[in-house]
Amino acid sequence: MKPPRAPLDQESVNKWEVQLRKGCLELAILAALWDRKLYGLEILRRLESDSDLIVSEGTVYPLLSRVKMLGLVRSEWVESDAGHPRKYYALTPAGKHRGREMAETWARFSTSMSQLLAPLAKEKKEK
Amino acid sequence: MMPGDDAQQKIEAYLGRLRHILRDMNPVEAGEIVEELRSHVLDKAAPAGQVTAAGVDAALAMLGTPEELATQYTTDALLMRAEISRSPIRILASLFRWASLSLAGFLVLIASIVGYFLGGAFMWCGVLKIIHPQTAGLWLLHHGGDTWEISVRLGFATVPPDARDVLGWWVVPLGLVVGCALIMLTTHSSLWCVRRYRQSLSLERL
Repeated sequence: MKPPRAPLDQESVNKWEVQLRKGCLELAILAALWDRKLYGLEILRRLESDSDLIVSEGTVYPLLSRVKMLGLVRSEWVESDAGHPRKYYALTPAGKHRGREMAETWARFSTSMSQLLAPLAKEKKEK
Repeated sequence: MMPGDDAQQKIEAYLGRLRHILRDMNPVEAGEIVEELRSHVLDKAAPAGQVTAAGVDAALAMLGTPEELATQYTTDALLMRAEISRSPIRILASLFRWASLSLAGFLVLIASIVGYFLGGAFMWCGVLKIIHPQTAGLWLLHHGGDTWEISVRLGFATVPPDARDVLGWWVVPLGLVVGCALIMLTTHSSLWCVRRYRQSLSLERL
């Protein structure tokens, strides 16, 4: 009897990567707002420059609205030199607490996964 | 920098459509969403200089259609409300809004209406048996020969003389338990569908 073939096509790898990025998005937004308040476009640019997360604009605004409903961020309108007001987001104490907890979980998880994946990375280097 | 007339018209058309779709949302929340997106489009369409129609087109394309955006806001609000209240009326009201935006929403709405209707009918049947013991309940109606029909009756009409009351008084506890279970199952399934759909939307656009 033939062993079942694992579906290792590029599409399934891409889907897995998208799921992985999606899981990090809330933490990434809390981290981007950690030390200062930012408006939506600044958050998008910070995610692009400081991480590998390129997020669609149509995704980030509903997500910001959701984390605001959850009480993790607060918002305020600030007049700008551009001639129109901008909506700035800042972390609430609950958002800081959630960010710390998620960061600790992330650090534990990534350390243990790195140990587990070390032989795979080594094998790839040798090839 | 102020946008030109053409660019302004495009922004207003997009935001007007979005505002219309979000009309059932809290007006303050909907207004904030619209104004935030206006601010985003103006920033994005004019990184340095005049806001042009082409810049606005590109900025709006990156946001997705008003329907796609509204679906994300609407389903988020629905899920958030469901966390606070599991009232079937609230859930159905939100599903009506979602149903107008997508086929998936329409199908979930129809399934939820059927589930809640059946659950309600079973519960009413159990309650009304106490008020109309001679006519309410689960009846087996004889249509002549070997033809029988099972009928859930609420007791507002007379029952044919040769009909049989299948469950008797057992319909009271059974109707309440089955009705409650159906309503809870419908609520749980509807929210599960909304969560899955919401997740798939985020993944598509990430």
